[in-house]
Amino acid sequence: LRKDVADPPPPFRRLLVANRGEIAVRVMRACRELGIETVAVYSDADVDALHTRLADRAERIGPAPAAESYLNSEAVIAAARRAGAEAIHPGYGFLSENAAFARAVEEAGLVFVGPPPETLASLGDKLAARRAVAAAGVPIVPGLLVPLVAGAGDGVTAEVAAVGFPGLVKAAAGGGGRGMRRVDRPDQLAAALEGAGREALAAFGDGTLYFERLIAPARHVEVQLLGDRHGNLAVLGERECSVQRRHQKLVEEAPSPAVTASIRESLAADARRVAGTVAFHNAATVEFLLDADGNHYFLEMNTRLQVEHGVTELVTGLDLVAWQIRVAAGERLTESVLANEPRGHAIEVRIYAEDPHHDFAPVAGSVTAWRMPAGPGVRVDAGVGAGTPLAVEYDPLLAKLLVHADGRTAALARLRRALDETIVGGVQTDLSFLRWLVDEPGFVAGAYDTGLVAERWAGGPELGADERSLAALAALEARLSAEAERASAVEPAPTRPAHTQPGSGWAARGRAEAVNHRRSR
Amino acid sequence: MSDLELAVDGAPVVAATGWTLSWIERSDGIARVTDGSRSEVCLVEGAGSDWVVTLRGRRIPVTVRSWRERVLADAESAARQAGGPVEIRAALPGLVVGVAVEDGAEVGEGAVLLTIEAMKMQNEVRAPRAGRVSSISVAAGQTVVAGASLLRIE
Repeated sequence: LRKDVADPPPPFRRLLVANRGEIAVRVMRACRELGIETVAVYSDADVDALHTRLADRAERIGPAPAAESYLNSEAVIAAARRAGAEAIHPGYGFLSENAAFARAVEEAGLVFVGPPPETLASLGDKLAARRAVAAAGVPIVPGLLVPLVAGAGDGVTAEVAAVGFPGLVKAAAGGGGRGMRRVDRPDQLAAALEGAGREALAAFGDGTLYFERLIAPARHVEVQLLGDRHGNLAVLGERECSVQRRHQKLVEEAPSPAVTASIRESLAADARRVAGTVAFHNAATVEFLLDADGNHYFLEMNTRLQVEHGVTELVTGLDLVAWQIRVAAGERLTESVLANEPRGHAIEVRIYAEDPHHDFAPVAGSVTAWRMPAGPGVRVDAGVGAGTPLAVEYDPLLAKLLVHADGRTAALARLRRALDETIVGGVQTDLSFLRWLVDEPGFVAGAYDTGLVAERWAGGPELGADERSLAALAALEARLSAEAERASAVEPAPTRPAHTQPGSGWAARGRAEAVNHRRSR
Repeated sequence: MSDLELAVDGAPVVAATGWTLSWIERSDGIARVTDGSRSEVCLVEGAGSDWVVTLRGRRIPVTVRSWRERVLADAESAARQAGGPVEIRAALPGLVVGVAVEDGAEVGEGAVLLTIEAMKMQNEVRAPRAGRVSSISVAAGQTVVAGASLLRIE
């Protein structure tokens, strides 16, 4: 091979990815491109998982429950030592915002691809963050700056009454919608405090709560930041994340259809102010609520990679994961990053093993058929494939499907086309919701808020007569063709070894591999 | 053309007329249905009388049965209804946060038997019919997989 220019030395020789699923695969892809060797960690549920098989080397870290494996700091750091890794990328979730873990990684002489431990500690306390951000002159959602202590009787103190109803009870250590309760009337407060406190204690080991006014209707808009160790900060535009269920995102797009040039300017300025309240050298996100009048309010800041980072990558052309790793190694952000101007429109939809017709409840099972779309402007970040059993211990995210085009209308058309090409068998997914969404008039017009799923989808449309009769036709034809195949078999099929029997999962996987092999030739 | 009866969610249904099906990948169950102008790709999984058709992202269970298969199945379910023991299973994977009954307890139809937390939601498991609780095989704090046996009602 002839090379005109020598490749720059990789930021690290070997990196351990302390995560699983699609995000572990995503980080490993960036490492491959940077010339970094990859180490996966896996629990007993993930021996055959995609991320385990893709890494250069894989280390077992414990049994299936996350608390004993992916959340076990000591096991993860021991694995990094065994494998000779120089750095640890935490992905999102699990240990990514755990200050004690970040500190332990540094004490072990390894590099944590993330902010300093002190930053994680200070941002982990949402109340302290609210105080710091308000002091920096950034608008916050009106509400308490101190923990909520229940008053006598219905629990409503003068401070709570001054915030007003409807309001939200939130966990100071919270995130991901956990420990959060909507309170419409004063007499609902006591029950909300009890429920949210229990949930927060169970999820975060801290039951501290606070109270803020409910902004509704509201849009959830966040600004992507990238910082280095030399004081440079890139502001990489916003993402619209208002399509949510259970306060968790399902669909994201960049730019936001609700953000005008002047709103964008003030969001960027306030995101810089928020970033100035903490030290970080990493990818970070400042989340805001946007009300119907275009006013914005600080929600929270995350100094880690977000699930939805890909939409920003598509409009900026940057590899945010690669930059996380490069700035962790001490590299400077380049002028092309600092002066980046996002281009075109990107939309991401998350494919979950969840039943949107039953409150988006997670479903168990195995993925059978697995066809992901391809073609111009389409990107798929997946953590599973045909034959993958779904580990019930973890998040039911199967894949993220992203599209990019010149404008929003073209991006929507591309998304419709890509969804038509997508087939997932074996389990119900939210694909039926996503296919409804891309034709929903409010979404198509860009006029939607965080109430979309609850108000417009509800449980989804009833199964139509045309769908019933088409499904009946397909099932009838399938049975008839199976019977015809059996009848035409001239001799009985030989007995097959157990592991190749249909339905064991191995057959499906073997088929998929054979197909991939054929395609790769 | 055939004596097969079709049902979706237990309700009889007639196969779409004017539409035809052709296989895209027979081994994976991926097919195209078309009426000559419009077409849709769907996924057909199953065997015998039980099929699931995934159409526009939605899994639609379809029963395809001969008259004889239907009579046999109906007789079987009638026997179950007649008061035989009912196995209560977890519909979702999750954490058992509370068991509200004890072995031997008499419960009415709809009584809360236990609570399972899955994806941050507390789901109450209720008695499908009145009877006596037996064979409780889980305790609070235990994680269960979907389909795991929880208890029986006799």
